[in-house]
Amino acid sequence: MIKNLHDTICDEIRFNTFFKKHSKDLHDFLYYKFGDHLNPKDKVQEAFIKLWENCGKVKPEKAKSYLFTIGNNLMLNEVKHQKVKLKYREKPQKHHTNENPEFLMEENEYLNKLQTAISNLTEAQRTAFLLNRIEGKKHKEIAELLDISTKAVEKRIYGALKKLRKDIKEL
Amino acid sequence: MNREDLIQKWLDNALTTEEFKAFKQLEDYDELMALDNGLKQFKAQDFNTDLELQRLTNSLKNTPAKATSWFKPLLRVAAILAICLGSYYYTTTLDTSIDTLMAQKETIALPDTSTVTINALSSIVFNEHSWSDDRALSLEGEGYFKVAKGSKFKVNTPVGTVTVLGTEFNVKQRTNYFEVICYEGSVSVEYNTNVVILKPGDSFLVIDGKTIEKTPVTSTTPSWINNESSFTSMPFKTIISEFERQYNVTFNVNTINEEQLFTGSFTHNDIDLALKAITLPLNLTYAKKDGTIILKSE
Repeated sequence: MIKNLHDTICDEIRFNTFFKKHSKDLHDFLYYKFGDHLNPKDKVQEAFIKLWENCGKVKPEKAKSYLFTIGNNLMLNEVKHQKVKLKYREKPQKHHTNENPEFLMEENEYLNKLQTAISNLTEAQRTAFLLNRIEGKKHKEIAELLDISTKAVEKRIYGALKKLRKDIKEL
Repeated sequence: MNREDLIQKWLDNALTTEEFKAFKQLEDYDELMALDNGLKQFKAQDFNTDLELQRLTNSLKNTPAKATSWFKPLLRVAAILAICLGSYYYTTTLDTSIDTLMAQKETIALPDTSTVTINALSSIVFNEHSWSDDRALSLEGEGYFKVAKGSKFKVNTPVGTVTVLGTEFNVKQRTNYFEVICYEGSVSVEYNTNVVILKPGDSFLVIDGKTIEKTPVTSTTPSWINNESSFTSMPFKTIISEFERQYNVTFNVNTINEEQLFTGSFTHNDIDLALKAITLPLNLTYAKKDGTIILKSE
């Protein structure tokens, strides 16, 4: 009888490796799905604490989806209490300043439009699309992360792109 | 390759060099690039994995892994069991208590075939569940017992204890008054430190702390069972207080000598007849007024 010696991730080294592998993905996922005002970093911490507390019950192959579900639920609980703050409040960061005022204004205007358009996407579309465009993840990686098929990821991303372009033109 | 396929491939970051050239020729190219650049401004905050891991390790130091996950459910089970056992124990050891009010009599069947009839303003307390091990009850007031044969049967009163095996007897414990009459079998009465054994017809009477000898009774049941109280050479005050209990009245005795002895009986069903029965032999007159009865000597 074959017995899996590592049927939990309760020891520290395995847990740390697991953290290094998945914490950033979880953070990005929560960030793009819910925005930054709900402290995705803290939710990552909380989700990992929960995982550690229940490490004896969670099988290693299920740990990743357990972690993402916990993170998502933590966020949803927070959203329940903060319905008012649901609006996407992302502020673009400035990297360059020596440009002429007109260009700056135009750029600002464009970014504002983009922000509104992004917040108008559905959560599913936004998460998949931003993970793809900003984090540069392949469709397959996103599919694994979200536990959906590659086809579904393609559909979400393409749908998001179409919607964004349409919204920006209209605004 | 058509436009949509190119865009799809671009989205998957999977364009070959040639395809990329074709993609560059698309009229959408500029717009898509602007969008892509704009999106870069929305990048998630830097996530420093090592720093976050450090944070996590720190907070985990205070929450050790729950290797003993079996302990909590066990505690829950134990708590439920404790509650169940506790309430079971509580309800089974709860005493049964029966009281009678003024002018009320009640016959109670005890857990074995014994019965007890209690007179007005009396109470008994017993435990149904320990009855088979210990036939004991507490009595305050007056009760007539028919005890089934079996183990020792004990009647505890505030002043004395009556112990029997299987018999019929009457116990009357009132203020400054303690009387046990045995009708059948034999009864042992423990009063202060004395133990007295009563044979059928014998009685044991204490009034105001003094033991009083009485002639043997010939009846087989106490008269109050048949709704009549009868007395032989009793101080008049005991008759008065029994009367008060049976009819729920109070007496105003004025200057009458309450210590004089009375022999006779009164019924529990007719107050006028009963009043005559206790006043005529002593040459008294009575007047009723709002539940108070005033007695006068003629």
